[in-house]
This record gives sequence, structure tokens and C-alpha cells, in this order.
Amino acid sequence: MSKYLTFPDVVFKDRRLLLAALADLGYSEVEEGEALPLYGYQGDRRTETAEIVIHRRHVGSLSNDLGFARTDQGYVPVVSEYDQRTLHSGRFLVKLRTAYNERVVEEVKRRLHGTAHRTVEGNIVKVRIRF
Amino acid sequence: MREVEFTIDPTTGRLEMHVKGIAGPACDDVARLAKELLGEPGREEKTGEYYLRPRVRPQIRGKGNQ
Repeated sequence: MSKYLTFPDVVFKDRRLLLAALADLGYSEVEEGEALPLYGYQGDRRTETAEIVIHRRHVGSLSNDLGFARTDQGYVPVVSEYDQRTLHSGRFLVKLRTAYNERVVEEVKRRLHGTAHRTVEGNIVKVRIRF
Repeated sequence: MREVEFTIDPTTGRLEMHVKGIAGPACDDVARLAKELLGEPGREEKTGEYYLRPRVRPQIRGKGNQ
């Protein structure tokens, strides 16, 4: 074929892959529900709600709850500015996106019944799936 | 050989996908799968291969086979 597609890095479309990516980063304890409340590090209830929540006790004593709110486009992170700045040295969302992308590649390989060949060139990871 | 090439940049979290070896809109099926998992792409570009028509070999049956 052919097509080039470049995907934006804000929305996580697939719930199952998002949960797997969070687990890859060490966040396997999550609460799921409808419009769950989010709490700040002092126990203060925040105005935002989310459908997937990682409670702050699983994140860090100074952290706030991490949330992912479901939208028509997918799950959007609801992460405080403090946690964006400090978690994983300020790279939480980039690392989560990378882990999610790796999960997507695995899923595509599985669904196409393909075989994968992985190479790393500098920082760039290339995965070729033949099917 | 049909191939999907993913390029992941861990410094930005960015993902690019390139579908190769499928002539014509059949590659849309693969793109649809990716969109199901990744959402709508920020950029989508058809390459020259996309516009190729799939080759179909004519089949000729001999009288003896009928």
C-alpha cells in the first residue's frame, strides 16, 4: 500500500491497552467506574472526574490521583501539573504513550497473525510486522 | 510481502505507521485496525503504491475441464 499515518499523543483509544500500558509503568492498581472523583494530595476533592483512576497512595505521597476520562475519541489523561512535572522525571505521559504504542504493535501483530522484526536505531524503535 | 512498519520514538512517544506491499484500498483494512486502537491520525498520506490496481490473472479453462 501505502499509507503513512502519524498519531497524536494525547488520547488513548483502547481501554484494555491503556490498562496494560499503565501496568507496564508499575500502575496495576486502578479503580474503574463512571465519573469517579479525583482527590489531591491533601485529600481535597478536585473538580475533575475520570473513568479510570490510580489513587495517589499508589503514586507517591505528594502526588494527586491520576485519572483518565472517557471521551468519544478515547481516554484523556487528567493529571495535575505537579505530577506531569515530577512523575518519571517529568516524562510520565511520554513513557505511557510509548508503552501504549508498544502494546498497539503487539495487538496488531496478534490480529494479523504476523511475525515481528524489531530494530533499534539510536533512540528510534522500528518494528516490522509481516503477514 | 505484506508489511506494516511501526516507528516509535521513545523521546516523544510519537508513533508512525507505514503499510507496505498492499496495492489499492485493501490497505485501508490495516489502517482501520490501527485507527481502532490509536484513534484518528494527525496525518495520513497515501503513497504511490496505494493507487496501484491489484493484479488479477485471467483464468482460462480448457474444454477438458468442463
